[in-house]
Amino acid sequence: MTILAWKDTLKKVKELIDKAPTGYVLDYEVQPEKSMKEALITVTGKTFVAKAKISKVTPYEGEKNVLKKKKDKLKTLVMIEKIEEIQDDIVNYEEVSGGSIDKILSFAVLAKKEEAKIEQREPMESKLSSDVKSVLRQLEKDGESLPVKIAERLAEAKKQYKIDGKDFDKLLKATIEKYRETGVDPYEAVGIVGAQSIGEPGTQMTMRTFHFAGVAEMDVTLGLPRLIEIVDARKTPSTPSMTIFMSEKARGDEDRAVALARSIESTTLLDVADIEVNTTESYVLIMLDKQKMIERGLKREEILPKLKKIRMQKTTITEEENEIKLSLDEPSFKKIYQLYENLKTFQVKGLDGIKRAIVKFDQKAKEWIIYTQGSNLAGVLELKDVDFARTKTNDIIEISQVLGVEAAREAIIEESTSTLHNAGLNTDIRHLMLVADMMTFSGVVEAIGRHGISGKKASVLARAAFEITSKHLLNAGLIGEVDRLNGVAENIIVGQPITLGTGAVKLSYRREE
Amino acid sequence: MHEMVPEHWLVSVKEEEKILKSLGVTKGQLPKIRKSDPVVKALEKVEGEISPGRIIEIVRKSRTRGIAKIYRTVIGE
Repeated sequence: MTILAWKDTLKKVKELIDKAPTGYVLDYEVQPEKSMKEALITVTGKTFVAKAKISKVTPYEGEKNVLKKKKDKLKTLVMIEKIEEIQDDIVNYEEVSGGSIDKILSFAVLAKKEEAKIEQREPMESKLSSDVKSVLRQLEKDGESLPVKIAERLAEAKKQYKIDGKDFDKLLKATIEKYRETGVDPYEAVGIVGAQSIGEPGTQMTMRTFHFAGVAEMDVTLGLPRLIEIVDARKTPSTPSMTIFMSEKARGDEDRAVALARSIESTTLLDVADIEVNTTESYVLIMLDKQKMIERGLKREEILPKLKKIRMQKTTITEEENEIKLSLDEPSFKKIYQLYENLKTFQVKGLDGIKRAIVKFDQKAKEWIIYTQGSNLAGVLELKDVDFARTKTNDIIEISQVLGVEAAREAIIEESTSTLHNAGLNTDIRHLMLVADMMTFSGVVEAIGRHGISGKKASVLARAAFEITSKHLLNAGLIGEVDRLNGVAENIIVGQPITLGTGAVKLSYRREE
Repeated sequence: MHEMVPEHWLVSVKEEEKILKSLGVTKGQLPKIRKSDPVVKALEKVEGEISPGRIIEIVRKSRTRGIAKIYRTVIGE
């Protein structure tokens, strides 16, 4: 079902609600469609305020006894049967003719967006084998717990060496004991150890921005700059890129991969045409370059309907062989330049942000993979032929917005390990997991450093010791902050034992008389 | 589901106390997850409105433990 939507004033909407059923004349040309039974009216362009049941959409021929949107230039008559006030977000709809709904929507034909299907996954725990489950159950009975990985190995050993009954109980007990020994001691400074463990191999990394051509002609930041970028939680990485995997059906097909890569590459009008401005006669001439169009896999017929969507100025479009002429109805020097500027960056094809896409065959996995320069995760995941589950980007902030904090945490670990690994360094993953945990603790990805975690410490003295001392102390004085001296830095300042290791234990020895 | 997104389960109010006790923490000390987080939004379609203060159990595929369960408190925004 398609829905007619337009922008109106609140006054008119109220009038319509009062007088419905009635005819209403719009100042747009609407192609009548049989399935058009509903209309939505927006005032702000962000939410719809009214929903109407409509019965007829016809060109306006001067009928009387109808309400009018404007006084003149009326074009279409819509019969409104019923109208009521609603609250519906504009984001739930998509434009039928393709593209996105203009923010300053004048009128559009819409369809309700299909709601994403939610599938519940089978819990990971239920997928474990019965042997492992029985080990875990036995542990639970004793009020103990071990990681699943160790339980798996225990179950395996039980089977392989046929350990039963009491012997297995003994084994369990010994395992638990050993497991406890390997844990981090209470009050151990895991953060400091982590920082050193990442920092030391970091000194061996290349300092300068090192662009590594992993895929032919692709620029990807690696090495220390990339590591810094990850922990700084930059809004956009310096070289955003995506790895797009194809769906099961399409992954062996080169043509489909190439077609997909071409369709996402964002192409502006300037990429395929020369644009000329004529200020005296107030028109813009677009000269399409055939050669470039073929390279980009673009047809002339595709460009024209998109051009018609520029609704900001009243223009007449005339077309010839390879030329498109847009002339203003009312000549204006300012407006013609505005139009020219708009056309220069006008996107005729592809997804926002994706500059280039390259198709490559993976010998190991025997499948076609698309690598891109620039990233648009939300856009790509919606496309057909794309494997939703595996497609990824190196833009961590984007991941947190599209897939949530937990996925962002996973991405931080993944990206930092692979960066270190690429430089031939091996850092225990636990340190990187700690970094990722801290960065995503608050529910959003935060940087490590002054603007992130370190700047939000509870203690005034610790913050003052870090950076901008006077500002912190002054503010604390103004609002009367209290420092409980729980951390490390503040205890060093006042000359007390720090709250780490043995210093954290409040134990004293009193010799008996 | 995307392979980078682990399992998210809403913890029933009854079980909340048991979990907090076993971890020895308060709700405020747990890591947070925003109500506007895409996964929470999806979970809301299954479980209905999730108000801030509820606890979400996250079952991750862990590189060190095999399976790891962690908890996050839902916060507003």
